[in-house]
Amino acid sequence: MKIKPRTFSDYATIGFPAGMLMVFFVIPFGIMIAVSFFQRVQGAFYEPAFVFDNYARFLTSFFGGILGFSIGLAALVAVVSVLLAFPFTYILTRMTRRTQVVWLVFLLSVLSLSEVLIGFGWSTLLSRTAGISNLLVALGVLDKPMSLSPSFGAVMTGMVYQTFPYTVLVLFPALSRLDPSLVEVARTLGSGPVRSFLNVVVPALRNSIVSTLIMVFVFALGCYLLPQLLGKPSHWTLSVLITDQAIYQSNMPFAAAMAVFLVLVSLSLVAISLLYGKKENAA
Amino acid sequence: MSGLVFESIVKKFGEFTAVHETSLTIPQGKFVCLLGPSGCGKTTLLRMIAGLEAATAGRILLDGDDVTRIPTHKRDFGMVFQNLALFPHLTVGENIAYPLRIRGVSKSDCLAAVKRLLDLVQLPDMAGRPVSKLSGGQKQRVAIARALALEPKLFLLDEPLSALDAKLRESMQIELKQLQQKLGITTIVVTHDQREAMTMADLVVVMSQGKVHQVAPPVEIYRKPKDAFVADFIGSTNLISGRISGSGKLAVPGGTLLADDLPATGDVTLSVRPENIRVTAGSGDNTPGCLAGEVSYIRDLGASIEMYLSVAGQQITAITTPSDRPDIAAGDAVSVHFPKDACVVLGDA
Amino acid sequence: MDDIKKGISRRSVLAGIAGGSAVAMAGIAGFPGIVRAQEKSLKIGAYGGYFKDSFDKHIFPEFTKATGISVESIAQPTGEAWLVQLEQAARAGQAPADVSMISQVSMLRGSAASIWAKLDPAKMPNIENVMPSFINKYDDGSVCGVGAVTWYITLVSNSDVITQAPSSWEELWKPDRAGQLGLLALVTNSFLLDVTAKTYFGGQEILDTEEGIMKVMDKLAELKDNVQLWYRDEAQFEQALKSGEIPMGQYYHDVAGLAAADGYPVRSTFPKEGGINDSGSWAVSKASEKLDLAHVFIDFMSQPEIQTLLSRKVGTSPTVARAKTSLTDAEFASVSSEIEPIIPRYDMYQQRADWLSQKWTELIVS
Ligand SMILES: Nc1ncnc2c1ncn2[C@@H]1O[C@H](COP(=O)(O)OP(=O)(O)O)[C@@H](O)[C@H]1O
Ligand SMILES: [Mg+2]
Repeated sequence: MKIKPRTFSDYATIGFPAGMLMVFFVIPFGIMIAVSFFQRVQGAFYEPAFVFDNYARFLTSFFGGILGFSIGLAALVAVVSVLLAFPFTYILTRMTRRTQVVWLVFLLSVLSLSEVLIGFGWSTLLSRTAGISNLLVALGVLDKPMSLSPSFGAVMTGMVYQTFPYTVLVLFPALSRLDPSLVEVARTLGSGPVRSFLNVVVPALRNSIVSTLIMVFVFALGCYLLPQLLGKPSHWTLSVLITDQAIYQSNMPFAAAMAVFLVLVSLSLVAISLLYGKKENAA
Repeated sequence: MSGLVFESIVKKFGEFTAVHETSLTIPQGKFVCLLGPSGCGKTTLLRMIAGLEAATAGRILLDGDDVTRIPTHKRDFGMVFQNLALFPHLTVGENIAYPLRIRGVSKSDCLAAVKRLLDLVQLPDMAGRPVSKLSGGQKQRVAIARALALEPKLFLLDEPLSALDAKLRESMQIELKQLQQKLGITTIVVTHDQREAMTMADLVVVMSQGKVHQVAPPVEIYRKPKDAFVADFIGSTNLISGRISGSGKLAVPGGTLLADDLPATGDVTLSVRPENIRVTAGSGDNTPGCLAGEVSYIRDLGASIEMYLSVAGQQITAITTPSDRPDIAAGDAVSVHFPKDACVVLGDA
Repeated sequence: MDDIKKGISRRSVLAGIAGGSAVAMAGIAGFPGIVRAQEKSLKIGAYGGYFKDSFDKHIFPEFTKATGISVESIAQPTGEAWLVQLEQAARAGQAPADVSMISQVSMLRGSAASIWAKLDPAKMPNIENVMPSFINKYDDGSVCGVGAVTWYITLVSNSDVITQAPSSWEELWKPDRAGQLGLLALVTNSFLLDVTAKTYFGGQEILDTEEGIMKVMDKLAELKDNVQLWYRDEAQFEQALKSGEIPMGQYYHDVAGLAAADGYPVRSTFPKEGGINDSGSWAVSKASEKLDLAHVFIDFMSQPEIQTLLSRKVGTSPTVARAKTSLTDAEFASVSSEIEPIIPRYDMYQQRADWLSQKWTELIVS
């Protein structure tokens, strides 16, 4: 027998999250979609209308290239972050409670750093005059100090630095819950530590891994300061251009159209990977 | 020599000693049960055999070779964990083939091995199932099949049947024993259930609080418990203390009992199994081996009858069958007979 | 480009995003002939960071002392974000600030959308002092903005790394500058089209047509390999310039002067083609209910003494004729130059906004 909600309070429990979702997601996104169809008035602002100009302007190979780069960058950041964070978190969950707390507090404090701080910090660390290349010179690895930023490597470093703690915190609960006897049984069956990790821990947690990849991917896709602070113009992502259009060109309709497109593309990528994952699980 | 040997093995977790210095020999091809109450160190001992815990001191030898420092994955022992630990992302067949696959066994050989093992554990045609779709008993069999896939030198099981219901557990006990006899593989099973140990084991290792109390075949454990702990833990018993009063004679409250293997002097404790005590109506002769008592309470269970007696202020339990039931009732005065060969002298625990 | 030869946005976006406000306490001294203020206050927007700090410290207290009007200063972001907020506020009838300092392209945009209150010159006798080119007007001739400050973007260099002071914008194109330049990242705040036109095409007339602009862009494309950093945020370049990491580029003359005064090896040079002269105007949001007080403020700010004070304390160049100020030659030289400035083609930036930003982005991104 199904129990139907009857009283107001029965509905309220679902009403609250629904309301939050409405206020913080549905309404703003709705407004953004609406604005993306508005008519841009060059030299002023925009007028309510229903035109496709903003999307038309976006559909060029130039923006296609930038979209491709943005998605590729976010995907790479997600993969590198998870590749680093997964073994790290696995080892962390096997440590004493005390060590775990120390690390988690440290990671939380990194997480509390703003994007601006991270960007400036890394651009200094990667600079020729004050950066780590001087250390390498002192160690005799390099002949003379060199500037490592702006560059693609610098953007990657900054973004992975930013997403790493986030990735660890997302993976931590799943890895803590992993039954340690799975690894032990694999060892009794003849796998060494590395092989048991790859054969047992990774596949047993593949759903967590996929959802973490998606979360980090979406997070990285929205990153607009680090590519500016650590990259050359060719490393600027769509989010950077959206910010430029919104803040410097006050071209809200075009910025909105790009943002809508970005959201749709990332949602469909997420959907595809989930569908693919489901099929694989069913197989 | 062949078999598994513990030489002065000790295991400490920090300050806490989980296994006190233990030396033990498990002969090749035997079915051994590690038996003891929860928390006594059985799992720890088993995990040391598997290499999942490092011994704090001592050596473990297998067929004369020191295996103490060999890592788990090079020991080739099959182990079934208490929670079974089947790989959730693999099917039944893939679980069983896992140890073969990582050793590079060909696909067709793997398939053949899986089929043979599934037949062995009586789960034919299950290879393609996801493990999440199995019942408790089926999971049990898959875990056993997987542990046996390597034809291991040692087969280790940690409370393998504890998650099953009572009926299934009993039939699995017999099946497991038959399987072991068929394969002739040295098998070590951890259990806290003495009936289970009695059913399956060739050799029972009784443990408590990190110490081994007795290592012997089940019947001997039952008939000749070495100390009060073993006597009490294996089945139920009557413990009677007294002082040596002459050759083969023991003065106990209310009279004298006779026993073999008594020391010359001193205080000793006897264990007398309830089913060995004979009760007759009337406070009869007060000869050695017979004490006067009174019936406190009788419990008739149909197949057996339990008599609770008070003998010189001490509680004694006796069991008999319906056909031998004496004609007595609660409050009656009775004679309680302790046959000489049923009185087992216990050592210090 | 007659009335409107002034500057586009500047000051750090990053600093501007972090808000904040300080309320100066009302003073009691009088101000000639105008509203007596009791408990009167005005919300004034200034670029967050260095600008706002300097105004809070040196300028607003003087105003409160003179008029009794207290000031609540609002840190406004640069770029057009503030304009967007003002525009939305105007629709809602709620002003985030009564008076704001607005860049020239934003002034034009705002005029097109009529979000500025019309100002009455009769209520502001002191704006007579302000040079006519710094007065912003609606198409119908009514006043909507009054020049607040002007500043220069010049050729800056690190004197430790580059011992010989550069003398021309051509320096940016020299092959031995490879990987050494820091330039502003946006077409609307770098004004590099104007610089290139003046340096290589004999003047800004070539910017009249799209063809001309494309030629200028092609020339500009030649210096791309020299650029190490395209910056949006001043702090990003300032750090690199001071340390010599990026030893040359375009930067704000006033801030470069402050860095030099602090002992950093930073030098600012007016090239022979001229520095870029950019400016901000005071404008009042239509949604403001304090137009009277705003008139008092703008009038106050237009006094030559206050313009002098701004030059001395904030480092900006005056919007009144130099002769009216009491600046010494040295003081004037530190905020301005006798070399004829490059005044950006604000009309072009407004009329071809989308096309320009598209071409510019393609130019530097590709
Ligand atoms: N990893 C460990 N760290 C600390 N103490 C442990 C650890 N493993 C087991 N113990 C302790 O050792 C004792 C024996 O445990 P165990 O061998 O699991 O007992 P059981 O006989 O129930 O299998 C228990 O008191 C247990 O708390
Ligand atoms: Mg246990």
